[in-house]
Amino acid sequence: MSAVLRAARAAVARRRLQTFVLGVVVLVSSAMVVATLGLLAAVSGPFDQVYAAAKGAHVVAEFDAARVTPEQLTRAAHTPGVSAVAGPYPEAVLHQAAMTGERPIGLAGALTVVGRDRTDTPVDVLKLSAGRWATAVGEIVLDLPPGLGPLLITTDRHLTTPDGTDLKVVGYTDSASRSAGGWVTPEQARALHAGSWQMMYRFHRAGSEAELRESTAAATTGLPEHAMTGVSSYLAIKAALAKGPGTYVPFLTVFGVLGLLVSVLIVGNVVSGAVVSGFRHIGILKALGFTPNQVTAVYLLMVTAPAAAGCALGAVVGGVVGKRLVRQAFWGISGGQLVRDGAGIPGWAYPVVLLGMPALAVLSALLPALRARRLPAAVAVSAGGAPRTGRGLAVQRWLSGSRLPRAVSLGLGWPFARPGRTALTLSTVVLGVTTVTLALGLSASVVGYGRSQQQTDVIQVQAQVGNAQWDPTPATHTDEQLMALLRAMPGTAHVRADAPLETRSPGSSEVVQVGVQLGDSEALHPDLVRGRWTAGPGEAVVSGEYWRQHRVSLGQTIVLTDADGRAVPEKVVGETSGGWDVTSVEWDRFVKLSAGRRAMTFSVQLTPGTDPAAYAAAAGRLDPGLRASVNGGADTMEKVIISVVSTLTLLLIIVSALGVFNTVVLGTRERRKDLGMLKSIGMTPRQVVAMVVTAMTALGALGGLAGVPLGMLAHRIVIPATGRSTGIDLPASLLHVWRWQVVLPTLLAGAVIAALGAYLPARGAAKTPVAEVLRTE
Amino acid sequence: MTKTDRHTGTTDVVRLTDVRKDFGDYAALDGVSLTIGAGEAVAVMGPSGSGKSTLLNLVSGLDRPSSGSVVVGGQDLGGLDEKGLALFRRRTIGVVFQFFNLLDDLPALDNIALAGQLSGLKASAARERGLELMGELGIADRRDVYPAALSGGERQRVATARALMNRPALLLADEPTGALDSRSGEQVMQLLADLNELGQTLLIVTHDPRLAAQCARRVVEVADGRIARDRSTAVAR
Repeated sequence: MSAVLRAARAAVARRRLQTFVLGVVVLVSSAMVVATLGLLAAVSGPFDQVYAAAKGAHVVAEFDAARVTPEQLTRAAHTPGVSAVAGPYPEAVLHQAAMTGERPIGLAGALTVVGRDRTDTPVDVLKLSAGRWATAVGEIVLDLPPGLGPLLITTDRHLTTPDGTDLKVVGYTDSASRSAGGWVTPEQARALHAGSWQMMYRFHRAGSEAELRESTAAATTGLPEHAMTGVSSYLAIKAALAKGPGTYVPFLTVFGVLGLLVSVLIVGNVVSGAVVSGFRHIGILKALGFTPNQVTAVYLLMVTAPAAAGCALGAVVGGVVGKRLVRQAFWGISGGQLVRDGAGIPGWAYPVVLLGMPALAVLSALLPALRARRLPAAVAVSAGGAPRTGRGLAVQRWLSGSRLPRAVSLGLGWPFARPGRTALTLSTVVLGVTTVTLALGLSASVVGYGRSQQQTDVIQVQAQVGNAQWDPTPATHTDEQLMALLRAMPGTAHVRADAPLETRSPGSSEVVQVGVQLGDSEALHPDLVRGRWTAGPGEAVVSGEYWRQHRVSLGQTIVLTDADGRAVPEKVVGETSGGWDVTSVEWDRFVKLSAGRRAMTFSVQLTPGTDPAAYAAAAGRLDPGLRASVNGGADTMEKVIISVVSTLTLLLIIVSALGVFNTVVLGTRERRKDLGMLKSIGMTPRQVVAMVVTAMTALGALGGLAGVPLGMLAHRIVIPATGRSTGIDLPASLLHVWRWQVVLPTLLAGAVIAALGAYLPARGAAKTPVAEVLRTE
Repeated sequence: MTKTDRHTGTTDVVRLTDVRKDFGDYAALDGVSLTIGAGEAVAVMGPSGSGKSTLLNLVSGLDRPSSGSVVVGGQDLGGLDEKGLALFRRRTIGVVFQFFNLLDDLPALDNIALAGQLSGLKASAARERGLELMGELGIADRRDVYPAALSGGERQRVATARALMNRPALLLADEPTGALDSRSGEQVMQLLADLNELGQTLLIVTHDPRLAAQCARRVVEVADGRIARDRSTAVAR
């Protein structure tokens, strides 16, 4: 082993604690960088590759079977712009299909059923998540809506069409192209009176709506006029898919940048400290005959070894955590399974981190190592022995004359002795506090958003209605009877019945989710982004997402298909930030499309002073099929965002506290003699702890003062950016989350982080063996 | 002449009884008994590794004996916890170190006042007492000078003033001239002798026979962890 290696190994062994701290900081930082890169890449990158891998359709088109033949469709598709084509497949739309066997999956309503004899078609390859493909008449495979998780074929589930055809569910799949709600054999589709042909295309040019329109026109050239009755583009799927993870991108980016900054500062702090505290060792090496280059090499190696080990472990941890975060981020989003399966940590993230973090450590070490290289041996050997010229003198003098307990005033003066290191530590704390502030603000906004979506401030009790189609204890009263019973209960202010369902606009294969309401709809409506609530039939309110995707405006009329397949024009009078695509009060025309053809829930606003729990219990006794509960609790997205934010915040707090810990370890090591002397003249162990913790707590308090406004600023940037990237118009109230109950503890967060990091080394300093320290020279 | 200790009213400031101190298998002190009366000036001498620094650490409460008892200023140090020992060091003793051990970031006066402030004196009162001591020790004009700008002799005077800040019953000095040039060493020896003349009890650990001869009336020679000789000596003034 060369002398350099031997000396570096000895240096590492001698600084076990320092080496450990450096390793842990690099580990946590690397893990955070890998996880963040993974998430950012998953959010921004993989859809196109994954969609291409699944041979997802750029366009799914429907053609009127009465106007065009399969041969015409196939012939027209043979154009240079089409890279792949699947179909024509017979397609039927089932209105009011009933599902038996257990609670239905997804929303009830219009179900598009396509006759396909295989899964591995040139476009829209289907992967079965459970069961098998439909191979015989009387069988159906259902598209699994997002967010349900894996569903197994464990029970006998059947679908009954309005004309009485019974279809047994034999499998589940998740179509990347969202080409249908169910698949049967072509013979079965024809038997279901398929009136359309479905064609799925992949084009060479499909980057924009304009290109898609051009490519579609080319692939349908020569077909009879009005043959094409509906078309849907993959760009809508892409936009919808980006919506969920889009929630995470702004704050993950901010957290990622904060994490990297904190890591750089801490690595710089740890490494500089290790080199500076090793000056005496440098002198000895030089006295032994080490060349300046060898001395530099010893120090760089001393730093590289723990950095490389921490980085390698951190990459592994980051990989595992990152994949989990990706899974969480895409959970419950249509098409999310595609990204979850295809996206992991991108390959380039590992070499970037594995080379980047040690390089960062080496770069941070380079300046002090070069300083060590230039240092004359005699000066280096005597480092620590000769008195230093005092620094921060004016402050020290002022403090020594103050009325503060001397241990406290000594502690307050401590940071001024090493202004460079203090600045690094202060920056670390500032970033830690910024993170905590941002995290608290984000959580408050997310909870606020959840509250506005769940309307917990307006609706206090919700009651689920047992449905006769699948529920063993169905409601025995009709919706109207239940409404009357609830209205008659003491404590009821307003009641509304809700029935969510799916329908389509005539001429489009796209599914529209409709929330149809009965009762006190206006009194219980959610916050509106613009416009007003629907005043009655012929008017509807749309969600922000629908508003954006369909470029609707107030006063515009949209057309939906009702339970009998007839067109229902609805004038758009308002926009909500979330909720169903369309909310309508045309109960009688739509409710038959819903599961069980009746209300799914009743929402109740109580009069002031009514106990929600007691009311819910009493409401539950009105009907054995009515399950009432207090409205509240966090939804999945809320929980995921808060858990991701909490995890990242915790990591950054740990790293920040380690930064402070390292500063205190270095400081107490450098000041061993001072501490020994102070103890020799009567400073008690508690005073030593108070002095050291005061030093860092003062820095932490300063960090809090600077970090809180920075965190609030970041919150002000992240929330609107989140709204933009998710396509949600967020109410301004989500920015006004700063109340003194939140701000005051956050201001203290810096002091707490600093005190946490300082306490253990302070305890160690209090136990400094005085006799030994003072004797050693 | 026998004096009474002003802290305890007794004549003995230090009483070591059958003290033993082990470091692993090695006995640094073995069965040492020693009594130092109020107003005495005692020099402990011996070769390196003889146990004299260990003796000083035990008397100053910086270390604890493996067995035996150490009573200083009437307090049995064996019965004190860490805080008790700190308070003992604060109130009963003052220590002068070979390498001064001053805080580099504080000027001379604040270094001295520090010991008083730790004892609960207000900053102004501590500085007043510090200035008084600086005047007595001939360094009043160095009150605002930082340790790095002081000569070795001046640093040791500042350290001595700090040790005297709380009017200790016992002043301990560990090789107080060891890091000084001969002229500065002379000055410090004279200072210690003068302090003893004023009634300050002294325990000096030294290699330097001149220091022992000039400052101590009694020399305790330690060898291999035992007291080899305990003799009175004429003090050259």
